Amino acid sequence: MQIVYNLIVLYLVGHLIWYLFREKKFWNKVCAVLVLIMFLLRLFLIK
Amino acid sequence: MKKIRSKLISSVLLLLTLVICFLSGFKFLSMQKKEDVFPTEGLTSKKMLSSYFQTLKNTWGDTEVYIYEGQEKGGNLLIQGGAHPNEPAGFITAVLLIENIQATKGKIVIIPRANNSGFTHSDPQEGNPQRYSIETSAGRRSFRYGSRLTNPIHQWPDPTLYINPAGQKLSGTESRNLNRCYPGRKNGRLTEKVAYGIMELFKKEKIDLAIDLHESAPEYPVINAIVFHENSEELAALALMELQLQGFEFSLEFSPKNLRGLSHREWGDNTQAMAILLESANASHGRLKGKTSPALILEGKDKNYVKAAKLGRLFVPYDEEGVPLKLRVARHLAAVKSILSSFEELHPEKKTEIKNMPSSNEVRMKGIGPFLHPPN
Repeated sequence: MQIVYNLIVLYLVGHLIWYLFREKKFWNKVCAVLVLIMFLLRLFLIK
Repeated sequence: MKKIRSKLISSVLLLLTLVICFLSGFKFLSMQKKEDVFPTEGLTSKKMLSSYFQTLKNTWGDTEVYIYEGQEKGGNLLIQGGAHPNEPAGFITAVLLIENIQATKGKIVIIPRANNSGFTHSDPQEGNPQRYSIETSAGRRSFRYGSRLTNPIHQWPDPTLYINPAGQKLSGTESRNLNRCYPGRKNGRLTEKVAYGIMELFKKEKIDLAIDLHESAPEYPVINAIVFHENSEELAALALMELQLQGFEFSLEFSPKNLRGLSHREWGDNTQAMAILLESANASHGRLKGKTSPALILEGKDKNYVKAAKLGRLFVPYDEEGVPLKLRVARHLAAVKSILSSFEELHPEKKTEIKNMPSSNEVRMKGIGPFLHPPN
């Protein structure tokens, strides 16, 4: 179950990073980063 | 040029993300560090719960068990703190005993962090402090203020409806509440395995009397109470009389037969031990509290509770003086002592003699610090 959870979060993290580099507007990048922090903490099962 | 600039900004933001993750993650993971406990020379052996139930080895459910054994045989007593790590009086009372006592007769088994996993995180959205500190004779010691439930990182996901090992239907989160998981399941979730391990300890250490130390919110009806299994009815009544003579007000609460999964019910039903649970009044985990801070945990002062007391909404006396941790620990110590002497009265052949147990009056007057080992 945990592997499935991690894979889902990893998939979303990948998407967010891809979006971060593709997006041109600065504030949209910042928004992506704010979400990315939560997902990375989740990915490493910190919180 | 614009493309390169955009990619550079993205790289800087990604780096910043990693730094934030590292810093916040580091702080969060520091909650997993256990504080040192300094047992007296009277400690006979220190085991892990996994030595009673092997499956717990290398899991977050494994926890320390301190055993003090006298030279003479007598009764076997279990004192459990930390089943709910957001109820500090239970944990601190267990630590005070570990750091002061010696057994001359019988055996005393102490588990200070019964739900070890619950100490590694805090309840979300409560704004609880991670730690509180107590000044000792030579320095300050900090202790974790944990959560009532097992860390969801260690046990996940919660079921929608939880049917505990005793058959009681509860909400899903209660599957992480150690005091709803007795008598445990050998192949169950982590919390159920911890409960199962504790039941195995009962069998292997031949526990005669077991006391589970808890706290509850001042607006909760079962408070300042001795909750007893029917096998401990007489024992609880005798202890209550002794406590009243010392000036401590307690209420006697019968363990309901249809409320299953709790220590005072399942320990009594499934083992030979007499089962008792103690409750004191902790404002820091009540629903009416204001800001939760280390001061609220230690001093127990909260103006909302003063107001609630004036409106007659509480089940304990509560004024501007609050209910400090030293008083809550003193109450637990007084109750443990009274239960032990009453147990001896009922079963003289199972007498347990403890030397150097901090007196409740001294703890109430001097505080907890003088009875704690200074930090190394």
